[in-house]
Amino acid sequence: MNRIVRTSGATGRRVISRRGLLRTGAALGAGVAMPGLISRAAWAQDAKKLTFISEESSPKAQAVYDRINADFEKETGIKVTMEYPGFANIAQRVATLIASGTPAELVWYGTGSAMEVGLQDQLADVSDLVSEFDIPDNLRLVMNGKDRSVATSQQFVYGWYRSDLYEEAGIDPYSDWPGYLAAVEKLNNPPSHYGNVVPSAQSGASHLLMETMMQKNDAHWFALNDAGEYEVALDQGDNFSRVVETLEYLHQMHQFSPEGSNYGWGDLMSQYFTGRVANSYYVGARLLEQTLANAPDLAPKTKPISLPAKATDNYYLSVQGFHIGAGSNEDGARQYIQFFLNHPAYVDWLHSVPLHIIPAKREILQSEAYQDNDVIQQRMDVLEFLDSIWGKGRAPYYWDGDKLNPYVGVYQNDNLGGWMLAARNIGKQDAESVVREAAEQIRTKMADLR
Amino acid sequence: MANTNQAREGAWISAAIAPSLILLLIVAYLPILYALSLAFYDKSAFRPDMEWVGLANAEWLLAQKDFWAAMGRSVVFTLGTVGFQLAFGLFFGLLLNQAIAGRSVMRSLVILPYLLPTIVIGLVFRWILNPEFGVVNQLLLSSGLIDRPINFFGGIDAAMPSIIITTGWQYGSFAVLLILARLQSINPRLYEAARSCGAGTWRCFVDVTLPNLRTTLLLIALLRGIWMFNKFDLIWIITQGGPLQATETLPIYIYEIAFRDFDFGRAAAGCVAIFIILLLFSFIYFKFFNPTKEVEVNR
Repeated sequence: MNRIVRTSGATGRRVISRRGLLRTGAALGAGVAMPGLISRAAWAQDAKKLTFISEESSPKAQAVYDRINADFEKETGIKVTMEYPGFANIAQRVATLIASGTPAELVWYGTGSAMEVGLQDQLADVSDLVSEFDIPDNLRLVMNGKDRSVATSQQFVYGWYRSDLYEEAGIDPYSDWPGYLAAVEKLNNPPSHYGNVVPSAQSGASHLLMETMMQKNDAHWFALNDAGEYEVALDQGDNFSRVVETLEYLHQMHQFSPEGSNYGWGDLMSQYFTGRVANSYYVGARLLEQTLANAPDLAPKTKPISLPAKATDNYYLSVQGFHIGAGSNEDGARQYIQFFLNHPAYVDWLHSVPLHIIPAKREILQSEAYQDNDVIQQRMDVLEFLDSIWGKGRAPYYWDGDKLNPYVGVYQNDNLGGWMLAARNIGKQDAESVVREAAEQIRTKMADLR
Repeated sequence: MANTNQAREGAWISAAIAPSLILLLIVAYLPILYALSLAFYDKSAFRPDMEWVGLANAEWLLAQKDFWAAMGRSVVFTLGTVGFQLAFGLFFGLLLNQAIAGRSVMRSLVILPYLLPTIVIGLVFRWILNPEFGVVNQLLLSSGLIDRPINFFGGIDAAMPSIIITTGWQYGSFAVLLILARLQSINPRLYEAARSCGAGTWRCFVDVTLPNLRTTLLLIALLRGIWMFNKFDLIWIITQGGPLQATETLPIYIYEIAFRDFDFGRAAAGCVAIFIILLLFSFIYFKFFNPTKEVEVNR
């Protein structure tokens, strides 16, 4: 018989046996932990509860969520628990919940991040909702013939410029690559201010500039081979020349930019609204919102513009939408999406960052309800700009071919475009070797996928 | 009867210890064991299941040149920050041990950086050393010492030294505290005896102060070495490992495997690697720098 206590012969002290103590501790530990584990599992199965993780976390958006959620609970009895991990952390939060076996019912974030989850069969089929709400084809995320995302909104990557500085310098807004280069050179006067901003860091801001300009130059990361499979195309044939040309062009632009070797999204905006740069860019209109908040005098002079075209007039398209966790309370999540998109406050939600959260459907953009907003009324030029480029956006996973490219995450998660800019502009590596090295990095990662 | 009493007493002892043990088990040992076990599995962050792969994660990790590069940077960062903290601690410890005006206020002030949240220090230093708006660059430019701003955290060559100084500044207070406490406990008669033998300030420092500080300095080197090798927050806040991996130490590299590549298995193998390195470091420390030596001598 195993005893908890034994007597130490010489001293007579009572010594607890290690095994007995550990056994007791383990039993008590299991007793303490088990109810928690059971309740976590029960939460995932509970038809009257939803966990909703949202990337958009502005106070206005949160207020709209609260209104809609209260109405939803009143009507269905389903309680919605919100989480706002923020743009930088949402992918991690979603992943850790899946890894722990308690996926969130609903996640509202970018389809690019969601695609990674979908590739692991962790997203529910939402084809019925996509049909019901008539989501435009270029905003869909189709895997194995089934929709995995209900797009609610979108953003394009485009430029913002100081119209007053252009007027003072007597130059017209740019439309092509030589024109943009000439403009930023003329507007450059360091160290007080620079012609533009080319962040050169392994950051999302940097990567998206490279990726957008590659789109403008019809340069591709991948290409479909004869067997219909995606292969790395970065260092292949004419495409290689176009990628090198794009990188070299941004290197030239970098001569008229702050160094930006640790710039993120915030720096693109702060460099602009502090008057340090004449040109910047962003995914959407948050730059305008921040300029309105931090430098209201600059806001009327802040104009939207397409980043200069070369071989194509494509726009990097960022799509956001609802995603339902596979194996979660899928029915409840479906009800919520229907309720949300039919709720009158949906337009208020679009207004939480006016002109930044662009509706998925053009008729909403052109509707009176959407345009009934002070900021939008003041900046109808931005709305007209967005309307003029409608439909030209291409999501990265459909950029290299009509079939969904499952390898986008291999270079996007690493912000490889940003690394290319950093290696060329900060590391002073020549453009050709940078592109070749980037292609090898992708191949190594692909060979390593499991 | 005696056995029954002993068993009852033992049960009571077990029950009394159990809450602490359970807490320790839940918050310390279970996560460690789970992390250790993950290192032997293919565990994607996007799947609740996992597959046994044995040592494949370790093999993969050791074959990565980025892993070894990060290891090298971790060593540089650790040596740099620990060296900085020891120098900082020694300088201010000796200074504050003197009978100087405002000593109490200075003692309070010197501890301040240690009390500040890391996020505050990260953001403040980013501003102070900002190439465009930072006060340091403005002072250097206006004094004519430089003709163009230095990109402290964004320059490939400047980023690591800047991070080392920032981290060293924050944690130098810890060294000051320990060194000052030890200095105050040195028997003044030792100095009197040294002076009576003709020793000057320098000889007193070398022959009395330093030997008495030996254990403290080694303790600081051990503790700070372990903490600095594991340092993640301040580096992540300031540079996120950039520019171009110039400040990508092992913890940053492992974080990126876990939350950029979403591969928990390989990230866990990286954590085990850090654990083994620190275990070896501690073993060498205790084997070759016997920390009890000084205490025995003093007796």
